[in-house]
Amino acid sequence: MSDALASLDDLSYWYPGEIPALVDVNLELEPGLTVVVGPSGGGKSSLLRLFNGLIPHFHGGRIGGTATVFGHDVSRTATRVLARDVGFVFQDPERQVVYGSVEREVAFGLENLGIGRAAMVLRVGAALERLGLEGLRDRRVGTLSGGERQRVAIASVLAMAPRLIVLDEPTSELDASGEAAVLDGCLDLAAGGTAILIAEHRLERLVPVATSFVRLAGGRVDAPAGRPILVGPPARLRPPAARSASADQPAWSTDQLVVGPGGIPLVSCGGLSGQPGEVLALTGANGSGKTTLLRAIAGLLPPLSGSVDRLPGRTAYLPQDPGALLHRPSLLAEVLWTLERAATNRPGPARGQGELEAAGRAALAEFGLAELAERDPRDLSAGERQRGALAVILAGNPAIALLDEPTRGMDELARRSLARVLDRLRADGCSVVVATHDRDLVAEVADRVLVIADGRVTESEPPTVGPVLEAKAS
Amino acid sequence: MNARALIVWSLAGLVVALSTTNPIYRALIALIAVNVLRTWSRPEQDLRFLVRAIAFTTVGAVFLNVAVGHLGDTALISLPGGWPVIGGPWTLESIAYGSDAALGLAAAVLVVAPLSYVLEPAELVDALPKVLERAGIVVAAALNLVPGIGRSFGQVRDAQTMRGWRPAGLRSWADVIVPVAITAVEGSLELAEAMESRAFGSGPRSRYAPRAWRLRDSIVVVVSVAAIALAVWARAAGVAVDWYPYPGLSIPPVSPAMFVAALLPAVAIWP
Repeated sequence: MSDALASLDDLSYWYPGEIPALVDVNLELEPGLTVVVGPSGGGKSSLLRLFNGLIPHFHGGRIGGTATVFGHDVSRTATRVLARDVGFVFQDPERQVVYGSVEREVAFGLENLGIGRAAMVLRVGAALERLGLEGLRDRRVGTLSGGERQRVAIASVLAMAPRLIVLDEPTSELDASGEAAVLDGCLDLAAGGTAILIAEHRLERLVPVATSFVRLAGGRVDAPAGRPILVGPPARLRPPAARSASADQPAWSTDQLVVGPGGIPLVSCGGLSGQPGEVLALTGANGSGKTTLLRAIAGLLPPLSGSVDRLPGRTAYLPQDPGALLHRPSLLAEVLWTLERAATNRPGPARGQGELEAAGRAALAEFGLAELAERDPRDLSAGERQRGALAVILAGNPAIALLDEPTRGMDELARRSLARVLDRLRADGCSVVVATHDRDLVAEVADRVLVIADGRVTESEPPTVGPVLEAKAS
Repeated sequence: MNARALIVWSLAGLVVALSTTNPIYRALIALIAVNVLRTWSRPEQDLRFLVRAIAFTTVGAVFLNVAVGHLGDTALISLPGGWPVIGGPWTLESIAYGSDAALGLAAAVLVVAPLSYVLEPAELVDALPKVLERAGIVVAAALNLVPGIGRSFGQVRDAQTMRGWRPAGLRSWADVIVPVAITAVEGSLELAEAMESRAFGSGPRSRYAPRAWRLRDSIVVVVSVAAIALAVWARAAGVAVDWYPYPGLSIPPVSPAMFVAALLPAVAIWP
């Protein structure tokens, strides 16, 4: 007899609006650590939400075939009932917090299950200890780092003692240290016998210990999925020696700049500059001031002292949340909005609607989004949205591009397409500044690296490119 | 302090502050509330917003009363009578009346503020009757989204500005407000997903750790109930004299019963 925890038989699912998300999926989930891999928009989040019934009960839509989880027919069992057996951790740690304090947050699920007070105290304590959070018990969740918050989310689920924990790209919003803390926490749980099902782009830590893999693309499962293999470092797009620093005038420069939010100095730097045709990486820990400096260069945050100068021309700015940019009915409409405004400020003959639309479609194609041009951005996966936001702001040849964590939620393929676009921007003479925690991206594209620490900006050598894991069958 | 004791204390402060127009009682209640906030507020709470809001309201109330009241004997300046609404004498008595109204408002806000500044939302939920518990949790969870909405507004405005958006009339703000609203709705849906995934609504709930009831809480409740009873009696018996500055300024009268009623809530200051 199979010891499968869950099984999907000929399972298909359509979101409302008849968009197919999963197609004829057959899958048996065994105990251990199972990693779901595949490109952005391939159906990973939809698949995971089946296991606790959020699909179809919360999202609606239509389901075909059968899904059985711990003996429950998912289509007939509410999520709040399945929650006794299946815990779920979401991508964004900020959007799953119910209470303000760590201890109460971890106890929330237990209260919902009606667990007695004495047992709750024990289980909350055990969950906090398991995730290394005992010292944060009395802290406000809002004062924690992203990694700590996500571990609180995992502890909240763990306290409910589910037989399976499902995690949907739990590190996509985190910096490198947060990512390590969360994945190490997951690995500890798996080693302790908890069944884990996780969708994750960062595979380096997971691959050696995972018991099985599910590869999902276009809503279909490749069976059987092999262990992802090392494909070697990507070629450096531009060696540092060939950097373009010979332009007469920098695209932007700072002079004795001091900036900070709310009038409080956070970053000070003497004479920074970015050259046309140069990709500059801005790194540093969470809260070090990367976004603050980027906003100051963009002219969005007035300096507390000193100044920032920019050459004439459009400055493109990518905020951390792509949702800040995407609210029109289609990706194409969003790109056209940028192009129309850029065209009105551009010297020379006006561009016709046809020309603008062609430029818009080309901008989307550059990020592999040509087929999604007419889709509502809110229907896209996190990775697709991020690429869409990049296409939206980079359309129309900006003179300066300031990108805040551009690889958030991206899979390896999308990250490489971004690297190619950055290379193209460099060739077009754009001055690019990328604020990022992504060491691989920095190694791949940066001509120079600036590090912010203790409020000071210093220059550092670009890191070497590490091994890259791709979800290919071995 | 236990949430239920604090709720009763706030109620007592409200009854005293709003049952007369006498500025002496109102000022006493406001002073006591400020000290309760200073003693009991959670360390991470910043009272500056509250202070700014009260100062803004006070200035607004005084200005409004002076500009449109035109009552009282002591004219400070006089604007032409033909000017609509603001035309006429601006009097010292109007300033006094506006200040009294602002003081009443400030006292009312200050006695309710500890429910937010002293208690965790979870403690308030614990204090609710079972029938309101789920609604309380939803409100507490929604409050967690508010800071995110503020950040979202800043991000959207920045992003749209960099794409060429400029504020030009009310309609242009749709390019900022719509994404913020959509993001807020998405955030609340994700939160609802997260709550559902943690068995919210699956059956009878238990409570993790309602704060223990101590002797001090009993004392606060007894004294607060006494303050309410005294204020209601004073009002009914006609000894709680109101104060009006018109037509000429006078010193507010003091009723011993109301004075004691206004003083009793000070019991909550002692830690």
